[in-house]
Amino acid sequence: MVITVSLAQRLFGLGSVYGKTIRDSRRATLLVAGFLALFAVVAGAATAVAFDTPGSRREVAMLATALPAIFQGLLGRPIGLETLGGIIEWRYAPLFLLLMPLWSILALSSTLATEAKNGSLDLVVSTPLTRRRIALEKLAGHVAVVVLAMAVLALATWLVGIVFETLPGDAIALDAALAYAALVGVTTLATGGLALALASLLGRGPAVAITGGVMTFMYFVNGFRSSVNVFETLSPLSWYRWTYDHVPLAGLVDWASLVPLALAFVVFAGIGVVAFERRDLGSVVPIRLPRTPRPLLGLGGPFGRSLSEQLNGTVAWGLGIGLYAAVIVSTGSAFAESIRNVPAIDALLRAIFPTIDYSTVAGLLQLVFVEFGLIMFGFVAASTVAGWASEETQGRLEMVLSAPLSRVAWVLRGGLGVHLAIVLAAALVAACIGLATVGLGEDPLTPMAGTFVVALYGAAWAGVGMAVGGLVRPSLAPPVVVALTVGTFLLALLAPAFDLPEWVGDLALSSHYGKPLVGDWDPVGIVASLALAAGGLVLGAWGMRRRDVQG
Amino acid sequence: MPAVIRTEELTKFYGSHRGIVDVDLEVQEGEIFGFLGPNGAGKTTTLRTLLDLIRPTRGRAWVFDIETTVDPVAIHRRIGYIPGEFALYDGLTGGQTVEYFANLRGGVDRAYQASLIERFDLDPTRRYKEYSKGNKQKVGLVIALQHQPELLMLDEPTSGLDPLIQQSFFELVREARTEGRTVFLSSHILSEVERTCDRAAIIREGRLARVDRVEALRDLAHHQVELRFSGPIPAAEFESLPGVSHVTADQHVLRMRVSGPITPVVRAAARFELLDFVSREPTLEETFLAEYGRESVTVNDRGL
Repeated sequence: MVITVSLAQRLFGLGSVYGKTIRDSRRATLLVAGFLALFAVVAGAATAVAFDTPGSRREVAMLATALPAIFQGLLGRPIGLETLGGIIEWRYAPLFLLLMPLWSILALSSTLATEAKNGSLDLVVSTPLTRRRIALEKLAGHVAVVVLAMAVLALATWLVGIVFETLPGDAIALDAALAYAALVGVTTLATGGLALALASLLGRGPAVAITGGVMTFMYFVNGFRSSVNVFETLSPLSWYRWTYDHVPLAGLVDWASLVPLALAFVVFAGIGVVAFERRDLGSVVPIRLPRTPRPLLGLGGPFGRSLSEQLNGTVAWGLGIGLYAAVIVSTGSAFAESIRNVPAIDALLRAIFPTIDYSTVAGLLQLVFVEFGLIMFGFVAASTVAGWASEETQGRLEMVLSAPLSRVAWVLRGGLGVHLAIVLAAALVAACIGLATVGLGEDPLTPMAGTFVVALYGAAWAGVGMAVGGLVRPSLAPPVVVALTVGTFLLALLAPAFDLPEWVGDLALSSHYGKPLVGDWDPVGIVASLALAAGGLVLGAWGMRRRDVQG
Repeated sequence: MPAVIRTEELTKFYGSHRGIVDVDLEVQEGEIFGFLGPNGAGKTTTLRTLLDLIRPTRGRAWVFDIETTVDPVAIHRRIGYIPGEFALYDGLTGGQTVEYFANLRGGVDRAYQASLIERFDLDPTRRYKEYSKGNKQKVGLVIALQHQPELLMLDEPTSGLDPLIQQSFFELVREARTEGRTVFLSSHILSEVERTCDRAAIIREGRLARVDRVEALRDLAHHQVELRFSGPIPAAEFESLPGVSHVTADQHVLRMRVSGPITPVVRAAARFELLDFVSREPTLEETFLAEYGRESVTVNDRGL
């Protein structure tokens, strides 16, 4: 009997390349759509609570235009700030426009390149399907799930306007929500298309790195074009500039600006498909990078090896976060001046943060960097824990443990490497802050020491991640760390926004560090973090003794 | 001779999925022991249980008289292992990878390590990720062999190697035996077991089907007999003979499988005008297939 393929299997299942792509993306799609919906609600709630009077809306509008250019460049276009939608798009749209493309970058860079590298694509290509069709079906599958996620974003944004309508004009029209989701979606796909094109030529790793770098650079080119001359010259190349007049939640809609972005996606994706069609399967143009110096390879044992494997990522994280902090430090005096020019905001800040002198570098960092720093160190932890777990998930551990090395020793030594990598990232961030602070003639030691306290947040979740990895399975460790990082961030945001009992907000570990960057350290958070970091490691070692090693 | 590996009713289930069931096995010091079975039969599960990488659901195992779950590190100190599938560090060169594992073990003779690299014709300066499958396998073999362990536990060790390197590998294995070391070699390639091993076990669907000397396994099986007649084929004369099965006739050629003594077939054949008589000793592969062709597994012979 001939096997027949149902339409359902073709659309969602193993009946076609397209169906399998959708099937393989279901978890990621649920996660992204859930995150988008949740974040839209959190952003709406936080905005509605913080700016619930016409006066507060006017103040935020004044602040937005008075902020130094360096800050304005990091935020959205400051228009329509008298409405809920306008504030949401000003404060949070950049986050969506930088985070969502990461999904497409990771998905489209791997959809062909990783499968080609693993060899499974050889089998797919050996079926009577043309390469072009395979590539197009995979691409169509990704486009479909992005459209689905954006539909969820549009719906959530529209509902936010209904639920959190506080002042006249707060309601968000459905067509505005759709236009906003379209902006995020097309930006996501265009960026992912570039990753697909590059992955077909260079392989996945370089494609992710280059596309991520290009995306960030293009964002800054648009954001800082008024303060950096060369950026003004380059800005026509930035797709964030193309859509500058499309701010639908603030009432400014420019559908035509999305057309070039959509065309860019078609061109990039076309290059990727044609390259896949014409080039040898799996062949890439090698990019020769300098080899790690021998003393840094960590060949002496699991501790050094673990640290060495993390080194590139750690340095990248440390320098990235550190440079961002240094940029903030460098704007210190301009920021203080701007705030002083808006007495209402000055008074508001002094009422909310009476002990912080934001005219100092440390105060400024405590005000605008600490939350970002906490989240980033959570991601550093997720990244290093993923590296630690890869020893087992990628099948190396079996050989490592066939040496006379106990499982406990492997967990403890490798785990110490993870913690030291986090400390190293913190040291780089602290060094960047220190250098920038010294340049302004201020005390560098207080914010530098505070940086290590902020990094404890990452160490704590890394400890929990390694406990989960040891007790349950290693592949679970990185998602748990990400979930705890994001979950804590959302909890800290949601608890006051929804007027939840104080103890709910206190569940967030990030609420217990005091004001570390101005030298006000809360021992509760520090001790809890150290306990989680060390205890998690020990628990992971104990768990590892009990379970089977994954082969 | 003392047993280097010993298992008693060793059983492993992955949830409801069968790994191995009631495996009783003894491997003697100084022998090359083949562990044969098709994919999914339980070879890798057995090896990983012996190394304490996974824990038995039931039963026990000892390596060097050390119970595997009690002190695995003491066992690992004396073994060399290559998994059936593995990945190593993409960023390290082959030489650095080998060095790392030498450091983890300690006491590796650098000259011997270099000689292995030379014998396997491995370029140690290339990054692991740049190696072909065969070269990656060579790195694994050097790691397993470089410390001259008392017991080699090799899971499909020749996978991806070209015939010349396979030959070098089997020379090394035989050298190990000459030096009194023990080799436990899991494979589904019967010819390599036939060529190299002293004894072999056949595992099927998680259960040991047979353990015996390689020659005995071969002899115990059957002969393939082919008779070419000048006239009509008297098939009925042969079908009823003891030990004869699978009788097929094709033009003037009669083929049959004969288990046990072949004398009755020779006597019956002598009564007819024959053009040719071929009796072929079965290969281990045929033995293997015959074993798996049976409906049930009945033999659990230590075959010492």
